[in-house]
Amino acid sequence: MVFTLILTALYNAILAVLIYIAEKKTAFGRIGYKKKQIIIGILFGAMASFASTSIAGVDIGDGTIMNVRDAAPLCAGLIFGAPAGIIAGIIGGLYRYISAFFGLTGTYTQLACSISTALAGFIAAALRKFMFDDKKPGWIYGLGIGMICEVIHMLMIFFTNANDPSTAFGFVKVCSLPMMLCNGFSVGAAVLAISLLGKDRDTVQFGKRHISRTFQTWLFICIVVAYVLTSTYTYMLQSQMSNTETETVIKTSIDDVNQDIQDTSDENLLNKTNLIKSEYIASGDKSAEFLQSLADKYKVAEIHIIDDNGIIVNTNVPQYIGFDMASGEQSAEFLILLDGTHKSFAQEYRPQSYDSSVAYKYGGVSLQGGGFLQVGYDANEFRADIDSTVKKIAKNRHIGENGFIVICDEEWNIVSEGTDYTGYNLASLGIRVDTEKYAENTIFGTEINGKPYLGEYEFAEGYYIVGVIGEEEALFMRDVSVYLSSFMEVLIFAALFALVYFLIKKLIIDNLNEVNRALSKITNGNLNVTVDVRDNEEFASLSDDINSTVDTLKRYISEAEARIDAELEFAKQIQSSALPSVFPPFPNRREFDIYAQMDTAKEVGGDFYDFYMLDDSTIAFLIADVSGKGIPAAMFMMKAKTIIKDLAESGLEVNDIFTQANAKLCENNDAGMFVTAWMAIVDLKTGIMSVANAGHNPPVIKRADGKFDYEKMRAGFVLAGMEGIKYRKTEIQLSPGDRIYLYTDGVTEATDKNDQLYGEDRLVGFLNSLGDTDVKSICGEVKKDIDRFVGDAPQFDDITMVSFRLNFIKGDDKISFIPGKDAGAAVSDFAEQLTSKLDVLPKISSKVSIAIDEIASNIINYSKAKTAQISYSIEKNKLNLTFEDDGQPYNPLEKEDPDITLSAEERQIGGLGIFMVKQMTESMDYKYENNKNILKLVMALNS
Amino acid sequence: MTINQTNENGKVTLALSGRLDTVTAPELEAALDTALGGATELCLDFTDLEYISSAGLRVLLKAQKIMNTKGTMKITGVNETIMEVFDITGFVDILTIE
Repeated sequence: MVFTLILTALYNAILAVLIYIAEKKTAFGRIGYKKKQIIIGILFGAMASFASTSIAGVDIGDGTIMNVRDAAPLCAGLIFGAPAGIIAGIIGGLYRYISAFFGLTGTYTQLACSISTALAGFIAAALRKFMFDDKKPGWIYGLGIGMICEVIHMLMIFFTNANDPSTAFGFVKVCSLPMMLCNGFSVGAAVLAISLLGKDRDTVQFGKRHISRTFQTWLFICIVVAYVLTSTYTYMLQSQMSNTETETVIKTSIDDVNQDIQDTSDENLLNKTNLIKSEYIASGDKSAEFLQSLADKYKVAEIHIIDDNGIIVNTNVPQYIGFDMASGEQSAEFLILLDGTHKSFAQEYRPQSYDSSVAYKYGGVSLQGGGFLQVGYDANEFRADIDSTVKKIAKNRHIGENGFIVICDEEWNIVSEGTDYTGYNLASLGIRVDTEKYAENTIFGTEINGKPYLGEYEFAEGYYIVGVIGEEEALFMRDVSVYLSSFMEVLIFAALFALVYFLIKKLIIDNLNEVNRALSKITNGNLNVTVDVRDNEEFASLSDDINSTVDTLKRYISEAEARIDAELEFAKQIQSSALPSVFPPFPNRREFDIYAQMDTAKEVGGDFYDFYMLDDSTIAFLIADVSGKGIPAAMFMMKAKTIIKDLAESGLEVNDIFTQANAKLCENNDAGMFVTAWMAIVDLKTGIMSVANAGHNPPVIKRADGKFDYEKMRAGFVLAGMEGIKYRKTEIQLSPGDRIYLYTDGVTEATDKNDQLYGEDRLVGFLNSLGDTDVKSICGEVKKDIDRFVGDAPQFDDITMVSFRLNFIKGDDKISFIPGKDAGAAVSDFAEQLTSKLDVLPKISSKVSIAIDEIASNIINYSKAKTAQISYSIEKNKLNLTFEDDGQPYNPLEKEDPDITLSAEERQIGGLGIFMVKQMTESMDYKYENNKNILKLVMALNS
Repeated sequence: MTINQTNENGKVTLALSGRLDTVTAPELEAALDTALGGATELCLDFTDLEYISSAGLRVLLKAQKIMNTKGTMKITGVNETIMEVFDITGFVDILTIE
């Protein structure tokens, strides 16, 4: 029987687990929330209906089935969601209501069961929504809620059957405990099963909410104590009341019987007394003998004549003569016959005043002319007179529904008629009365036919009157009251618990959480968050305090920022003044152009560039990037820059500069900083560029007649990274017109808002799209392109670039150049350098200059050559000048001499230069070889 | 090359020093373009000029042509080397050399 209920209780857990697994593993999990809620609601509704049937429940008679129906909507609502709970509750309730009409379920609790099942769905929905943050509760809550819902169920049975509390109480008494336990168990088990499956991920974590946990614990303890106290008090009060009530009920019945016996006895005595009085008056004989004869005749013990002073004057018991009636309590009662208010008086059977060991019943009637006549006899004498009447008195008397009254004699033999035990001792009924222990009219417990009874007794006129009533019947009202008030208390306290919990959560916990959320944002650096909890004054004041603290903090920070900004601005000036920043830096050097720029991400940066002439024909330039940013990087950068420059100026090879700089930078480098650097030293006389690379991005080089491309070379380790590193030197032969573009990774790693890098391909592509631009424009245009690419995204790293162009190579005895707009000046310089070395007459040196100028200007202006070279040698006072170019084949010797006799207006200027040169040289020789024009001049230096 | 220019009632004097070659000839040409606007008399002082190449000759010829239409042009302080160039090229016949 209990097994059936427990099994049904487990079905809910099984169904919950199946749905949970289906949700995780099958397509069921992907359908919409609404559909899912409806399906789950229907499934649990069906479970509730099934639980109502006689298969799943226990028939307790009258077609009413003890069941675990209410657990199903509770499981649906608490575990899966409010709508599912409501749907399951309504389905279960409707089934219960309708099925009763077809006799499938009991009709007595039809309404109560239907309502409570529907209510269970709503309760689950409300609790999940308002108390558990739309999560499923812990199993202990499931257990409690399941039990409380059954309390509601039981109360419903009372309320819907208020006109028949007895039957309703019968059901409740049988069902309440098993149904509370089974429903509670069912919901608790289902919640626990899901929690174990889901590893408690989406269960309300009360454990983490310390305040609410403490509140709950104490609230729960207080409520349990309050419940126990009030329940105990109610029980005791109701027991007391019930006892008194029972006592009264039995007493009233016994008193009734008592009164009947008393009346019968009194009547009997007064009848006899009146008869005696008649005979006494009629005879006029006052002798003791006569009175004795009357006593014998009427079977009484005593006959006394009392005068109007209350003194016994005549009696059949001579020792009483002269006894004053007023002297004893019992006898004094008869004095009322002397004052004329009473004509007759019968006293109950009791111990007499004269000798209290003797019990007598006395009666008296007043005599004319004062005084009265008193008659007394003992129980044996009068019982014979009234027995026949008394036997009938208890017949058909009931106490309550099944209580009754028996009358026994002084030996507890039942004398009253109407029971099967008449004539037997009372003990044979099972009743034993301990008169020592229980006084008259006090309740004693006994057992009749194995059932508990409550009884009382009275002693009257020599009879024991015993009344009994079934204990169950006697205590019915108490039990109903105790059950009802207990149930009500459970409900009230549960509601109180939920209310206090809800209020604490809403007024304190939620607000605290909101404050904490805001605080954690503030802690993470967002000082613009304001705390704005205004539900109550305390939190409003807390919010204001936090906000004003944050405001103060913000003010301090901005003040500190302003101070740091000013210092950084100063540092920035120092840093930028340390880098060459006047362009062109060497206005007199035509052999090369150089330009550099640095845009720092912060006020000061870790990138740097540098360049300097090491001697008249050697330039060094470098670019470097210190790890990190900001002040530390800037300080390390200054150190690195100074060390490298010092080493370079001491005349070291480029690789040795790096090797020694690395050694110096490694010293005391506790901060673990390092530098990537790329350095070149260019011999302007030969165009040979010596390069060392310490882990830096390779340079982008454009050959005079080609495109920009990466010059791949093996890079050494970074500077300051590890002691004892040796760096390699790479030599590159540059030609006039070659360009070198250096950059730091701020260029290629510039990032747009989609986190895309600017990248090497984009850089090279852009450089090649620029055409023949000057060194400054290259840097400016690349920076503009980066800015366009990056857009609004912030700059993360320093962007530094160096652009170098070799214009021509001017050696001691030759010059290589590109025939272009700047070439004339270079050639002119070369000619001046040559003539100043010759140590000849100004006339001669001028001729040399003119010859070089004429031939070179022809090459520059007309040959369309890409490269050209002029070289010379001196032999025996003869100067040999050789001009080479890769332009169109052109033999100046074949050119016709101009007519020099024409007037100014008629003169053509062409051909005059060659003509002049012919006149000034000793010989001219032209050949075209290997796609080159080669013109050789010989000039005399001594004439 | 440096050019020192003086203006006196339509008489323009340009004193050249250094070399008049392919590189510097455009400078002189530009100077003449502006100086010759209202000039009736042009004097080129070659005292400090070292030598002259065909590019310089071209500028002189152009100036001579202009001055032929509106006044006179003379060249003073010509050194031996420059004179030789003028000789070789026949410019002695075109120019007024003092």
